[in-house]
Amino acid sequence: MKKKRLIIRSVILLVMLLAIGNAFYNHFSAERGIVDEGDIAPNFVLEDLDGNRLELEQLRGKGVYLHFWATYCTYCRQKMQYLRDHYEEYQAKGVEIVAVNVAESQLQVERHLERFDINYGLYLDKDSLVTNAYGVVSLPTAFLIDEDGRVIEREIGAKTEKQVLASLNKLVPGN
Amino acid sequence: MEKVKCDCGHVNPYGTYLCESCGKPLIEDKGTVADMRYEGVARRSQTYSKTIIDKIWNFFSSVKVGIWIIILLLLASALGSLLPQEMYLPRGEQAITYYEEYYGFFGKLFYQLGFHNLYTSWWYLLLIAALGISLVICSLDRVVPLYRALKTQRVTRHEGFLKRQRLIAKTDKLEDAQQEIAKAEKILLAKKYQIRKENGNLLAEKGRFSRWGPYINHVGLIIFLIGAMLRFFPEMYIDDNIWVRDGEVAVIKGTDGEFFLRNNGFTVELYDEDEELYREAMERTGSPAVKSYETAATLLKRSNTGTIGVDTELEEVKDHVIRVNDPLTFEGYSLYQVDYKLNELAEFTFVLEAADEHADQSELADIRFTVDLYDPQTVYEFDNGFRIDILEYFPNFIINDDREPSTMNRIPDNPRLIFAVFTPEMDPEKDTGELSLVGIQVNEPLNGENDYIIRMVDVKMKNVTALTVRKDRTIPILIVGGLIFMVGLVQGSYWHHRRIWLQDRNGEIWVAAHANKNWYGLKKDLQAVAAGSKIPVPTDQKESEEAEQTRKVKEEGVTEDDGRTEQ
Repeated sequence: MKKKRLIIRSVILLVMLLAIGNAFYNHFSAERGIVDEGDIAPNFVLEDLDGNRLELEQLRGKGVYLHFWATYCTYCRQKMQYLRDHYEEYQAKGVEIVAVNVAESQLQVERHLERFDINYGLYLDKDSLVTNAYGVVSLPTAFLIDEDGRVIEREIGAKTEKQVLASLNKLVPGN
Repeated sequence: MEKVKCDCGHVNPYGTYLCESCGKPLIEDKGTVADMRYEGVARRSQTYSKTIIDKIWNFFSSVKVGIWIIILLLLASALGSLLPQEMYLPRGEQAITYYEEYYGFFGKLFYQLGFHNLYTSWWYLLLIAALGISLVICSLDRVVPLYRALKTQRVTRHEGFLKRQRLIAKTDKLEDAQQEIAKAEKILLAKKYQIRKENGNLLAEKGRFSRWGPYINHVGLIIFLIGAMLRFFPEMYIDDNIWVRDGEVAVIKGTDGEFFLRNNGFTVELYDEDEELYREAMERTGSPAVKSYETAATLLKRSNTGTIGVDTELEEVKDHVIRVNDPLTFEGYSLYQVDYKLNELAEFTFVLEAADEHADQSELADIRFTVDLYDPQTVYEFDNGFRIDILEYFPNFIINDDREPSTMNRIPDNPRLIFAVFTPEMDPEKDTGELSLVGIQVNEPLNGENDYIIRMVDVKMKNVTALTVRKDRTIPILIVGGLIFMVGLVQGSYWHHRRIWLQDRNGEIWVAAHANKNWYGLKKDLQAVAAGSKIPVPTDQKESEEAEQTRKVKEEGVTEDDGRTEQ
């Protein structure tokens, strides 16, 4: 009788605790992105400044550092310079950098490329279609996509050169 | 824990005050009137406290704790309403500066304590959660024993129980006691009492279901709270804003990039300031008043064929004119007209002029070009050999932390352009051209004195509409919770539980009565019984007790009060 009561009480308390805990977790934890760790990265087609098409699926077999950025985002600029400095080294190891500009004009992206001497592909997402499909809400946001097209990490916010290098290392096929 | 066996043979849980069956007081206490709360049953929480689970349970089972939670919630809620919450700050204001700037030290404190987001703070939500737990446990802990006690109550009650009812009286020895009880039964039946009889004794009962009112009320509240809790899940609740420029397409937030909205044109109509009817009101407000505003919108859906990106096709789903209170609805989403921004810069038109006013301007007459501020061209070439390049474009110009010209965002609120002008004699590949920084009210040469001036001659502006994206699947839950709440409230407020015990004790008729509220109605029923039989109207022990007290107070100037109320 007493045991039964204890069990009933424990169950009721547990159920309430779980429900409240779940609601709190949902409210306070960083929201899971539309595309996040473990997902297959949605395929997309974008054009670079010269109108060359890039389809994400064509990069299967390579690690892809998919970087969403804008010219007005200071931390994006820093990251893009780190990426520029190490691009050739990692390209040789089978890592590709895809930098998607979020809804800015061709002119701004072109000037950015010239100003910072960017050596990897800058792609225009004029209508934010890809940006929205990937659930990007703040910049910079990067997706690390492995050689099988699976997202292994979603990175939001500023990163140091060290962190960027660590991310690139993760993307080297076979690592 | 020991169970308590009453003289009548019923076994009561430990802590029982009045025997569940016969009503005999099992715990002696002072005072003439028994405490009838929860029928004198043992609320188990009050008596057991062994494991940690029991201790948590007992904590939340306390009404005192519940009331404190409510008081704290009230105080916190009031506190949060002293200054506007962050979500209600004027557009463009930053919380970090706003509060201090407008409300001084208090504002700064308010912000630093996190009260600018009080209603979503962890401690506020924790209080709400505690209230929910308290509601569940309080109710369970009381309704179960109460239900059992009312179900197992016997007609024949112990003398001690009867004597300590608030309303009690007895007759002298009567020859025809049973006849008198039968008369009373008839009267009570006519008053819609439920009658039960046992050994010549009688229990008349009415409105027992009203005792469940508070608990049904709590069930409604709990459902309501669950509904509110579900708002934390994006599948259940979305509340966001989108801004769409005239003629442009924007994604609808919360739809995972699946739905888009095209703004076919935003229009706003203001009240006519010259009209006599409105003049007085207009002068009072001092600003133009909006009569109506609306967005002609087209809902678009991303087609499932083709890859996202440059090949994406958007299919038109439907057209709708969105007005205040006339939202565009689709698949559980509603888009409401909520705000607008008039005259956002869209295009600049420039001409080129010679700096020297006396110079021949004729060769420049054909140079006129328009810059689309959402997508400017890099190069503008003219038939007469002139060429103008845009070297830099900053839609919302600022000097950034590195002391470089930059843009705050991609909205052309303060656009600046750096132009390079090449005359037919110059080679754009080798020469730098004449540089100038041009914006609204700004035109500065950047490399020495310029021979040519780029002059703005026309500006095109667009309107921007703001829409609220709302999805709320919790509304039905809130409505059901609210309805149940009301049912419980009505049930507990407009019906009253009344009981009358008539007992034949060796020819003496004992009459005792109890109501959980509205004693006046119960007394009237008893007066009706008295009028039709020899059964007397019972005296109110509490009233006589109170009369006694007042007399005492008058004499001695002291008072004793236990301000308890019954549930």
